[in-house]
Amino acid sequence: MAFGMYRYDAIDKAIVQDRAAEFREQVQRRLAGEISEDEFKPLRLMNGLYLQLHGYMLRVAIPYGTLSGDQLRTLAEIGRRFDKGYGHFTTRTNIQFNWIRLRDAPDILDMLASADLHAIQTSGNCIRNTTADPFAGAAADEVDDPRVWSEAIRQWSTLHPEFSFLPRKFKIAVTATGADRTASRFHDIGLRLHRRENGDLAFEVMVGGGLGRTPYVGQTIRRDLPPRHLMSYLTAILRTYNRLGRRDNLYKARIKILVASLGADEFARLVEEEWREIDKEQVDLPAGEVKRIRESFGMRAFAALPADSQRLEQAKAGARGLAAFVRTNVLPHRQPGYAVVNVSLKAPGEAPGDCSSEQMDRLAGLADRFSFSEIRVTHEQNLVLPHVRLDDVPDVYAELEAIGLATANINLASDIIACPGLDYCALANARAIPLAQEIGRRLADPDLAADVGEFKINISGCINACGHHHVGHVGILGVDKKGEEFYQLTLGGSPGLDDAAIGDVLGPALPFEQAPAAVEAIVRAYRRERLPHERFLQTYRRVGLTPFKAAVYGNAH
Amino acid sequence: MSLQALTANLLADGDVAFWSRGRWMARFEEAQLFEDRDAAASALELARGQPTIVVEPYLIDVERVDGLAVPASYRERVRALGPGVRPELGKQAQGGPVVAAMLAAHGTSRSKGRLGLIQRK
Repeated sequence: MAFGMYRYDAIDKAIVQDRAAEFREQVQRRLAGEISEDEFKPLRLMNGLYLQLHGYMLRVAIPYGTLSGDQLRTLAEIGRRFDKGYGHFTTRTNIQFNWIRLRDAPDILDMLASADLHAIQTSGNCIRNTTADPFAGAAADEVDDPRVWSEAIRQWSTLHPEFSFLPRKFKIAVTATGADRTASRFHDIGLRLHRRENGDLAFEVMVGGGLGRTPYVGQTIRRDLPPRHLMSYLTAILRTYNRLGRRDNLYKARIKILVASLGADEFARLVEEEWREIDKEQVDLPAGEVKRIRESFGMRAFAALPADSQRLEQAKAGARGLAAFVRTNVLPHRQPGYAVVNVSLKAPGEAPGDCSSEQMDRLAGLADRFSFSEIRVTHEQNLVLPHVRLDDVPDVYAELEAIGLATANINLASDIIACPGLDYCALANARAIPLAQEIGRRLADPDLAADVGEFKINISGCINACGHHHVGHVGILGVDKKGEEFYQLTLGGSPGLDDAAIGDVLGPALPFEQAPAAVEAIVRAYRRERLPHERFLQTYRRVGLTPFKAAVYGNAH
Repeated sequence: MSLQALTANLLADGDVAFWSRGRWMARFEEAQLFEDRDAAASALELARGQPTIVVEPYLIDVERVDGLAVPASYRERVRALGPGVRPELGKQAQGGPVVAAMLAAHGTSRSKGRLGLIQRK
């Protein structure tokens, strides 16, 4: 047995329906000239509606990265009916539609509400969508389902009156395994559920992580928070930040700056002081409410199956494509006879994270047939079918191949993370997608990719770091140098819990035309320098920047 | 002085639009070009008086490439064309000599038109 999907109750439904109705009225008043753009902008942003280069962009929250088949079909329909037939999955596990009309936005919010989805708090200085392990409920070493706590955070933080106007935006991640797939140390708050020696569940609480202009690795301020006190402790952290965080300087307003300036120990002391003052009976979730949320997820009944699948083994023997897919994209499941199937949105030549409405529809059908109608979105801009029988993997692969989504490159060099960049984003200084496409093409050869192994390339089109370039093994940051696009390379970043690191700058920025060849040179240098079985990060940490500098800049630097 | 054009996004549907003698046009080649700074500023004031038609009107620099006027900044060329990675989308899909000139133009990724954008993230 395992948890299924959270089901909205009457209160959840009323909140999103009321919010959609409220926004309909606000849009009508804006179109009629009854409110100004200055008055309207914060209202549309609180509903995820931005004005980008080509028009309005709607960012829809995918709560803790979890979708049902019906919800994915709804997103497909929004893409088809109101956009240009596709959407873009982001590094925040949300989806963005790039071609939205303001006059359609209220109808879209109604459609989302009808599918228990919304765009609330996908913008603004508030608590954003929580990141959770995309393998929740499937990971073998999971101590609890992080989605239960993520859903509790969603409900607690939605329209929270005290935390709707923070100094700056605020992001929380929840993971419950040793292998962190959420980049928890790079969130404003990272929460790691673990078991104490006495067997009790506890949260390790990390604060002050973040990327952007000033990257920091989150610091642990408490190792053993009892889960029953999660909400009061989060409240204490948010309250401390809300009181002391800087509002005078946009670039110093995130909690990471506060934690860095006070020091983690002093910040922890202030939080503990605040926490002692809080009436926990009033703030913490009653045990009955946690139970209600847990039960609202329902249960999935896994079949009792042998650990191995004869059918899959036989199918692999005659099909190199399937064998390669299983090797890279199919991962072990906690339940014998099942697997986690990763769906790469990084096919050669495609924009990372983009997915057509047809692909979404077909994926929803696959989820219905083969994965208890569940789909997950990863911060690496891929999708996951979390509960697939090993016997069904050949059928899933065949269907994915038919819709161009069977690329066998998860965690390989062509599995590149990239923000929308200057092709779409009003903030960007440089293009990210075309660079990802060109690098992906150069590193897509299966034999080369297999030899290189795990290799993470992250590209951001500006210092806001939506492409998480700081934590790429190779990070690429687009900069504006005297009006031209240039790209600064960093090496050695990692989003992992135990080896979290911010990449080191390799050298002078390169023009667009030289950046792909530079990445190829870095790959060649790694293959030359590595010891047997050494991952890129291990090689880099052993040999440092020097051989990579020489490979990219030669004698010129 | 250098050439300028006036651009904005249409309020109701968000489309990029260009000012031409009191009307908003879809294609950059239809934009009115201002050689006179005062005339450009006057048009901008008129546009700001149309808050139910457009959002955030601003002036952009324009230069000539092989005799054809194109936005000087890369960002504004992307707005006038559509995403480079999806040539079938946006205004570029209609083609024509000005689209070709914009695609061939180089340089200056920044436009000065919008400031304070980070507050939207």
